Amino acid sequence: MKELFDAFGGYAIGLLGAGLAALLACIGSAKGTGMTGQAAAGLVSEDPSKSGKAMVLQIIPGTQGLYGFVVWFIAFGKLSAGMSVAQGMQVLNACLPIALGGLLSAIAQGKVAVASINILAKKPDDWSKGMIFCIIVEFYAILCLLASFLMLNSIAI
Amino acid sequence: MAIVQMKKLRLMVVRSRKDELLRALARQGEVQIDTVREEDLLGDGAVLTREEADVMALKSRQLAVEQAISLLNRYAPVKTPMLAPKPELEKDVFLSENGLSEAEKAAETIREADSRIKRIGAEESRQRSLIETMTPWRELDLPLQCEGTQRAAVVLGSVSAKQSMGDLQSALENACEEAELFSVSNDGAQQYLVLVCAKEALADAQEALRPFNFNPAAFSGVTGTAAENIAAAERQLKALAAEKESCVKAIEAQSTQRDNLKLAFDKLGTRIAIANADGKLAHTDSVAVMEGWLPAEAEDKLSRIFDKFDCAWETADPAEEEYPNVPVKLKNNKFTNSMNMVTNMYSLPSYGTIDANPWMAFFFILFYGLMMADMGYGLVMIAAAIVAMKKIKPKEGTLAFCQLLLYGGIATFLMGALTGGFFSDIPLQIARLINPDTTWQGLPALFSPVRDSNMLLYGSLVLGLIQLNVGMVASFLFKVKHGQTADAIWDIGSLWVILLGAILLALPMLGLVSSSVLKTVGIAVLAVGVAMLLFGAGRNSKGIFGKIGAAFGAIYNTVTGWFGDVLSYSRIMALMLAGSVIGQVFNTIAVMPLQKSVNPITIVAFLIIFVLGHAINFGLNVLGCFVHDLRLQCLEYFKQFFTDGGKPFTPLTVKPKYVTTKD
Repeated sequence: MKELFDAFGGYAIGLLGAGLAALLACIGSAKGTGMTGQAAAGLVSEDPSKSGKAMVLQIIPGTQGLYGFVVWFIAFGKLSAGMSVAQGMQVLNACLPIALGGLLSAIAQGKVAVASINILAKKPDDWSKGMIFCIIVEFYAILCLLASFLMLNSIAI
Repeated sequence: MAIVQMKKLRLMVVRSRKDELLRALARQGEVQIDTVREEDLLGDGAVLTREEADVMALKSRQLAVEQAISLLNRYAPVKTPMLAPKPELEKDVFLSENGLSEAEKAAETIREADSRIKRIGAEESRQRSLIETMTPWRELDLPLQCEGTQRAAVVLGSVSAKQSMGDLQSALENACEEAELFSVSNDGAQQYLVLVCAKEALADAQEALRPFNFNPAAFSGVTGTAAENIAAAERQLKALAAEKESCVKAIEAQSTQRDNLKLAFDKLGTRIAIANADGKLAHTDSVAVMEGWLPAEAEDKLSRIFDKFDCAWETADPAEEEYPNVPVKLKNNKFTNSMNMVTNMYSLPSYGTIDANPWMAFFFILFYGLMMADMGYGLVMIAAAIVAMKKIKPKEGTLAFCQLLLYGGIATFLMGALTGGFFSDIPLQIARLINPDTTWQGLPALFSPVRDSNMLLYGSLVLGLIQLNVGMVASFLFKVKHGQTADAIWDIGSLWVILLGAILLALPMLGLVSSSVLKTVGIAVLAVGVAMLLFGAGRNSKGIFGKIGAAFGAIYNTVTGWFGDVLSYSRIMALMLAGSVIGQVFNTIAVMPLQKSVNPITIVAFLIIFVLGHAINFGLNVLGCFVHDLRLQCLEYFKQFFTDGGKPFTPLTVKPKYVTTKD
């Protein structure tokens, strides 16, 4: 096992962590905004005047990708070619909260956003309440971002 | 600053003066009219009837006007500036009938023209499809109704363009002698043919062509050649286009009526409100009976109206058991008015309880500022709020929103000054760009979200503890004021004693003071508090088991509830940190091109990344901080003292959609 990791080196393991943070969170956001976009397109085909509000709902599950990118950026800044396997592992582990939390919370939030498109279609005056339902899911993505960030911050390189 | 005191109104008016009274009340806008319940009234002998108001008819008239307005906006759109205040009109305008029939006539003209345009559209597509089916036969100079001569039969038809003419003709020749096939046109998909043959050979000829999928064309009811028909249809289309044009012109000509139509919509809306109120009254042969609510402070003003219409009326303070039905109106000053955004989203306090707005305003705005905590974002919010207030001159809900934006912006700016955030850390990034060896550490900060995150976490929890205690003070004062001193002491006082004991115990543990006496006193105080809580929880339960059960319930609820509530305040720190970190990353990315070289292109790139990145972060934070602040207030804080479920006070009033009213 040790030989296997030594063969890769800490840099590669760190890259894997940083990459996963961006990759998984972005996949989640793509799914979330994708399904909301489909629902929004259906609504807009009936009532084009609601496209602005539908777009706001579509953007909301897009933030996890942004958080993943933020963590990628910070993690990438920590990496260097000669780092030890232990350090690479630390970066990888620190990246996991936003990678997995971002992936799953974005999909969950996308489902709420799709349902909120329904509110926008049927009760346009109450659409802001749908937005609030979405933002409540957002908090857990923010917590993941902070967990990853604080852990990355504590790694001494 | 409180829940407005309401009085119950009962009133009788002579039927002939009822309409005038309702209009006067709508103008005043301070009486809520409830449905009269017959069983509450005199009962024996008096026959009570409801007057069937023509609400449905009025609503359909209003709908017609609304449709006309949207049609006018479609055919003759006008550009309205984004941030324009609504025009102001006197309330009396909406109560008069002047210009209503003229506007409704205009609405009718518009709607008729529109339905004519729709009919023309249907006719146009019919003519176009006619032209399409005729076009392949344009070259044929035979009238389409022609079915042959005395001896010869003529059949028009088509086969697929893939079939060769030679195959068709040889098949036909084999089947019968006296037959001929002429080609008329070929559009690439189909070739159009004329079959001429002796009448008695027709069946044979058609049988011979069947394998080629010869498809006879039928033009029932058409006379003349195809070319003649096409020309006629084209003439028709031209006439239809001209007619459509004139209909559109007719609608555009009504655009002078636009304001009048909007006014008519609001006038009808006012009449609907009055008719709805009318439907709630009960009538005898000669009088109408009204029940409702009015704010106590408006009684003097309203009494003059009641006397003017010779009403017999009385008001009474609501009895305690009536409280669930009393409508709630909040009285606010400039500062607490902004909190209506929050209470309206959650629930109004029920009548006879505490108005949360003054208790919440300070905390809401403080927490909002802490969560955003950025001077740059604060300035943007303040500017947006001031521009909106100056330009739109908002009222009611929109005004509350603008005020909240303003106060939130000020708090965000102040807290940003404490944390040294100005669009996160852009001053520092730019300073490092100008002089990479600078020792400057950025704007002075009392504490920094990134470096002092532990301290901020504890600070958030302490703020939570303070807010929860303020909520308990509110509840304590309210209970004492309403003669429930015992409840106040057992339910709330016991928690304070426990808290005091916990603080006395914690001080030596944290090493702030070292005294074993304090520890002993702390344990003693804590024990007294727990005993008070246990006794207090069980005091209303019967039997020893009931008391024990209630006591355990109280301990469980207190421990889990308080832990959960206080920990929830950690979101203040979480949002503050998240906003700051995301901003920093955008700043770092934005200055990257500038680090390579400074030229116009990299400066533009910097500006684009900076503006776009902060726009995203700002938008997320404005919304996110509001929602999480709302949650802290409504869930953790309100639990301490707030009773929800108040019904909003909905007076009969003039409430136009397109304009605002003035007195």
